[in-house]
Parts: sequence; structure tokens; C-alpha cells
Amino acid sequence: MKAPFSDYLTERAPALKELVGLLRQSFEYVSVLATDSVGISVRMSQASKSVSGSNMTTERGVVVRVCREGRYSEYAMNDWDAQDIPALAERITRVLEQQFALLKAVGSDTYTTGLLPDEPCTLFVEKNAEILPEKADPDALVKEMMSLSDRGMETIPGALDCIARGISTHISKLFLTEHRDLRQSYVYTEGTLISYAPTESGDTRVVYEGVSGCGGLEILKGLEEKLAGMPQTMKEVVSAGKVVPGEYEIIADPGIAGLIAHEAFGHGVEMDMFVKNRALGSQYIGQRVGSDLVTMHEGALCDESVTAYAFDDEGTLAGDVTEIDHGILKTGICDALSALRLGTAPTGNGKRENYAHKVYTRMTNTVFDSGTDTLEDMIASVKHGYLLKGTESGMEDPKHWGIQCIISRGYEIKDGKLTGKVVAPVVMTGYVPDLLGGICMASTDREVEGTGACGKGYKEWVKVADGGPYLKSRARLG
Amino acid sequence: MFQIIKNKLEKLGCDAWELTETLTDSWEFYYIRHQLDQNRAVETRAFEVKVYRLLEDGKFLGSASGEISPTASEAEIDKVLKDLLFQAGLVKNPAYTLTDTPVNGLPKAVMPAPADMAGAFLSAMQHLSETKTEDINSYEIFVRGKTRHFCNSRGVEARVSWPDSMLEVVINARDDEKEIELYRNFTSGICDEKILEAEIARAMQFGRDRLTAVPTPRTDGIPVIFSTSDACSIYEYFADRTNAAYKVQKISPWEIGAPVAEDLQGDRISLEALPELPGSSRNIPVDSEGCRISERFLIRDGVAEHFWGSRQFSEYLGLADSSQVYNFRVSGGTHSEQDLRQGDYLELVEFSDFQVDSMGGDIAGEIRLGYLHRGGKVTVVTGGSVTGSMTEAVSTMQCSEEQKQYDTMVIPAVTKLFGLRITPVE
Repeated sequence: MKAPFSDYLTERAPALKELVGLLRQSFEYVSVLATDSVGISVRMSQASKSVSGSNMTTERGVVVRVCREGRYSEYAMNDWDAQDIPALAERITRVLEQQFALLKAVGSDTYTTGLLPDEPCTLFVEKNAEILPEKADPDALVKEMMSLSDRGMETIPGALDCIARGISTHISKLFLTEHRDLRQSYVYTEGTLISYAPTESGDTRVVYEGVSGCGGLEILKGLEEKLAGMPQTMKEVVSAGKVVPGEYEIIADPGIAGLIAHEAFGHGVEMDMFVKNRALGSQYIGQRVGSDLVTMHEGALCDESVTAYAFDDEGTLAGDVTEIDHGILKTGICDALSALRLGTAPTGNGKRENYAHKVYTRMTNTVFDSGTDTLEDMIASVKHGYLLKGTESGMEDPKHWGIQCIISRGYEIKDGKLTGKVVAPVVMTGYVPDLLGGICMASTDREVEGTGACGKGYKEWVKVADGGPYLKSRARLG
Repeated sequence: MFQIIKNKLEKLGCDAWELTETLTDSWEFYYIRHQLDQNRAVETRAFEVKVYRLLEDGKFLGSASGEISPTASEAEIDKVLKDLLFQAGLVKNPAYTLTDTPVNGLPKAVMPAPADMAGAFLSAMQHLSETKTEDINSYEIFVRGKTRHFCNSRGVEARVSWPDSMLEVVINARDDEKEIELYRNFTSGICDEKILEAEIARAMQFGRDRLTAVPTPRTDGIPVIFSTSDACSIYEYFADRTNAAYKVQKISPWEIGAPVAEDLQGDRISLEALPELPGSSRNIPVDSEGCRISERFLIRDGVAEHFWGSRQFSEYLGLADSSQVYNFRVSGGTHSEQDLRQGDYLELVEFSDFQVDSMGGDIAGEIRLGYLHRGGKVTVVTGGSVTGSMTEAVSTMQCSEEQKQYDTMVIPAVTKLFGLRITPVE
């Protein structure tokens, strides 16, 4: 079924159009992004259970962007009267004028920017989803998650608890300018299973599995299969040893490949960082940054994932950018304001944490293309190294091209065979061009995951997805 | 709106409820170099509702929570509340109670105007000392005035306001061959110009030093010193493990009255919960469930003394007088900074992302800058990583008597950990 566009936004759209018209009398550019996203979050474990109608992406609010004399300003709100738009326009103008007065008083200069284009465009997109979060049977969802938690406790050796979580949001967004009217409605869902057990030394080891995608709560059915693999994984990590620090041959599973894509040339080519001269990538367009096997795409159109929108939070239509083509860095991704400043085209990557937050250039789906190798051949080719699985966290370093990935576990490979020895956790560090330049094999399959969230620095959390095939390279492990 | 929702909750037929209204008035200024990229104002009002139902003769307490938009119609409010009432019947947690302790005598909150708060930051950033080789790349200023109005079905009502600011700064340092950057994210109540100046000057010094850094060599068995805000992660491990939720979920093995590690050979630290800390961004005397925050020891001289946390998990541990905690102070160091810096050691001051996992106890971080003190010589190093186990390090850690505040935490100025592994750049 189609996920229906918000009745609330449909009802309020005329008032918001009136607001755009009124503000256009005082500003050279005006846009409005209005959101109405509803959802559900269910978290079941042995220790605690909760149900909530709100989650990270549920919201209802409006952000107005204006430009005057090359200066862009925004006003975000969620409490406004659709019956008195002149008063609202006056309120927005008054608050921004107060800010202008402060900026003048402290003698602040402005980074003058041209006017955003406002080509006429109308769009109405309703994507498919079987079970909408607002229509879901919460009783069935609670029982499904509780059953997963209970069976996790029965099957995962030594488990202190097993947390089963299902989150789904039905997103509706309306973008208006003088000449544009874009409306989209889609649903994304993610489910996670987290279990933890003690080691003999008194530490606690965590095992994590997840499913996600653009669609309704039907996606959570995939958790059954994920649960089946957790007992073995837990056995492996609670008895795991520590890796001897050093450089090794590595095989990254699709999840770790996605983490590398995200941290290496995901953040590394966010072009708002080019404007600030914060990304080394700006100096390497057209140059080799990886081996011939490295082709990387980024864009909301790349995969039907948790971030498969039709237009971004600045009203730019979604795209599919080839960032790296056979090892050559081709281009980056760009929000609309940064594109104006750089004299390039926006790529549909202007995203906000929610209506109350600023737009930055952000990732959507960041994925490596597949190769021609089999995983078996890749393992057989390793003299001494590790098959790395399980994303814990990563950190970008666009200025210096360092990379830090914290990985759940590594499976030792010696003389082309898995030895059965496991190390956990593993910190992988290195220099991005070395890591990508060292990619010498890639498998034919490819997976995209989107259960995590991405920050810009240490804030501005948004949903992203990433992935790729199994990749073989070299990296420093500790 | 608050009263409308409250009236509806009283008639809903649930066994208990909580209602929280949060007002946020935020001014934001984004700069590239010292030119304004964008200015923003955010004015929001959020209503959070939690509905409770006693189940199976009071053996269990079910709950469900949700948000109500300030633009919601009466019909929408009714639907949200009806859905929550049903959902609360599905969730069976062992019964606990909401607080019924009145909140009296709250200190009068002083809330500066956003223009005044923002003006102080704007002025401070314009007057920083910069040079041709160390300067500001970009910065973002966020000043927020927050007000929270809480009430519950047991008659507890509290209104608290507090300022909450953040400054994100990117600093560049360069020589003839390369340019590097350092990232800082300062949080505080309001702007403290002197602290800001000192921290940015220190960061610029780190930037200068990093330009001359060599790859991190092998440093087998050398102790590691932490002397920057990254050390907060070490002490968050202690704070998390005294959280009642961690105890109930069997993540924390600590017991009240027992030492936090067997065979404590190092410093026996103390951890205190504080309702207020001068300059903190979270000076909120009442927690989000209407409980007054008390000053008390959570760990005293290396022995767990109390757990803190939500009403639910605190009551499961029999700690009805507990609360959530937003500010902490760590003490118990028996060494001077100077003493801790004797002999060979590696002082790590910049990471990609330094982490101490409170669940697993794992320590991990890629090294961006460190000072290797070995054989009387200091070498500036970069690259590689530090890993280890906090569970193991607790027994032998040493701390300085001198303390330093990082927003919501006062911690020893210098912390020395033993037994960490350094992965060199070979």
C-alpha cells in the first residue's frame, strides 16, 4: 500500500504558502520545510520493557529559510497559528532582525552567498509500505519483540539479557518556495537485537544484529534469521583473545566495508567541508585514491534503505553520485548552499537532524560496488590476517585522511584458512589512500545496512546506510 | 495547552501519569573563518506524556510514552492519549511508584537573554589571539534557554529553567608543508571567556606540536597519561556503572559496600553526584521525573556507596530516594601532577575519538597527538592506537590531587593508567 502523505501538512500547506508570499516582500529568497512524521518504538528485554510513540525521527515542525543581501537565516518553530499568518511573518522577521542587530553591534562580517535557484517544480511521492507504524498492532509488535528477547535468552550462552527493539517512522515532508511544491511520504523501519554476556576476566562482550530498510514493520521479520546466528557469535566473542598489534591482511565483511566507505570517502567528500577547506579530498578530484577495484556511490537513489527519500531537506531531488570510479576520485556530495558557494550543482544531500536543526551536507547510502571474487577465494589468498565482522563505531578525519574503526571481532586466517581463533574487539586504524589502495579483491555480493546513525563531528544525528561487498586490503589492527 | 492535556490525563482512566512541557529558545550563529555563514533562531514547545497502568493486581506497572504537538487538535490529543492507555497495558514491568515528594524551595533560576548569551560568545570569538600559523577555521555558537514544567498524578509539580550553550570550534595549524586541524566542542551554561581563551590557546599549541610529530614508535608497557577532556570518558565509566539501570540490567557487577575492583593498588577514587556545578550546562535541580537531585557520594574511597538513576530502576534496587544525576565530581587522587609525570610515560592529548565502553570496559582510540617521555627525552608522536581494559586498569590507576572541570564533570587534572596497549606505526 502507499504510505499516505500527512493530512496535517495538506491542511496547513495553504497557510505556509501564504507565509512564503508574505516573507518574500522582505526577503529575496524564502523556503519552508514542514514535517509531520509519526512512529513507534518498542524495546523489550528481560530487565525492562517500553513502548513509545516517539523516536529519533518523529517530529512535527516548520523551518523557514530566508536570504537578504547574501545573508542566509533560518527560523524554526513548532507552535504556530495557521489562522494568523501575517502575525507569524511579523514574529519571524522580528526575531531575525534582533539577530541582525546583534551581529551589527559586534561588527560581524557575512559570508555573502548568491540566491538559491527557484526553478518551478512540483512533486508528490508516496512510497510503498505494508505495515505503517501508525496502523500497526502494538500488541502483536510487543509480543514479537518479547518472543525474540525470550528466545535469545534461551539460546545465547551466558546471556545476561537480550534486547529486541523495533523502530518505524512514517515520514511526511513538505517543501515550498515561491515556485516549488514538493511533497513526499515514505516509511523506514529498523530492528535490532543486542545481547551481552560476561567474559572470564570480568569484562562484558556485546553481540549486535540488525535489519533495516525503506518499508513498514514487515521488515522486522528479518530479525528471526539474525537471532539464529547470535549464539555462535557470542560463544566466539566471550572467549576471544586480543589481537597482537600490527599490520595485517584484512577481509572486511559488507558491514565493515560500509563503515570504511562511510568514514573514508563518505565524510571525506562532504562538500560543505570543501567550503571551509576542511577536506583533503578537494585537492584530489581527478586523482587516484584507491585501487582499480574501488568504485563508490552515494545517494538516496542508490538503495531502498532507511534514507531513500525523494528530495532532501532543501528541496533538491535525490541523486546517485559516483564518487570514486575505478580508484579515481570524481566528485563529492553537496548541499544547496555549499553548491552555490563552490559553483557546482547540489546532489540531494542537504539533510537536517530534524526541522529544528541546520542543514549540512550529509550522507545517505554510501556503498562500494561489487567485484568478481568469491569469499572463499579471498580467504584462501590470505597468508596471515583477519576476517573482520561487526561494526561498533567509526570516526572520520577528512582533513588528514586518517581512519578509526572499532570492530566487534576478527577471525584469524593463516595460510589461506580460518584457524578458529577469534580476537575482540579490534581497533582498525590507517591512512585512507593506503587502505583503499590496498583493496585487491572484492566479492560479487553486496549488502547495505542502516541500523545506525551518523553524526557530524559529535552532533547532528541523521539516519544513513552503507555497505558493499567483502573487500580484501591491508590495515593496522590493535 | 498544558492544562488541557493535564485535564484529559486526569480523566483518562490510567493509574498514573507524567506530563512535561519543555520550552527551548535557541539562537545559533555559524561562521566560516570569521564570516557569518548563517544565523538561526529556534523556538519550540514540546509536550511529553507518559501513561501508567497497574496490571495483574498491581504486580506489574505498564507504561507508554509519546509526544503531543502544540499544534495538535483536541481530537489528536485524545487519540494519542487513548493509544498510550492501550499500549501501557501491553508492557509488564515489575511495579514501581512515581515520586510523591513535593519539590519546594527551588532556587530562583537566572536566565540570561539569548542576545546577551550569544553576544558574549560572538565577542569572545572575535577577540581570540590568532597568528599566521595558528588560526580559527570555523565555529558554531549555540545558546539555549530551556524551561521544563513537570507534573505527575501524585501532585508533584516543578518548573526549572537553565542556560545551555555549546561552541564547536575547528582550529588550523600550518607550516610551509602542511596544514592540520583540531576539533573542539565546548559545552557550558553560559560563555566563560577566560576558559575559552585558555582552551583554544592550548589547542593551538597542540596544533603546532602535531606539525612536528613523528609516527608513534613501540612503547612496550609504558604507562599512559590523560590530561584533557578525553579523560572524562574514563570517569563516565564509573558514573555509568553506578547507574541503577546498569545494575538492574546486570551490566554493572558493583555492589553497595564493596570495592569497585579487587586488589585496589592504585588511588581509591570517590565519585559524587551534584545538583549544581558552577558553569555547567545542566544545572537542573529537579530531574525529568520530578525528583530533587541531592548531593551525595556514589563511590567513596573506592567503595560503591549509592546508585543513581531513574525512578524505575532505583526502586528495583530499593533506593527510593535516588534520582537522575547531571553533574559529577571525582576526587581521591593522592599524587601531584608533577609526581605523576615522573619517569617514562606517554601523554595522549588528541584522538580521532577516544572511547571507554562502560558496558564492555574496552578502551580504544586512534592517536592523533601524544608526548612520549622516555629516558629524559620528549618526542611528539602521532598515529597508531591505544587499547585496553578499564576493568583491569581500575585496580592500578593513579590520579592527581589537582582537579579540572569540563562542563558537567570535575575530574582529576591528570590520570595515569597502566597496562594499556599501544599499537605503533611501523
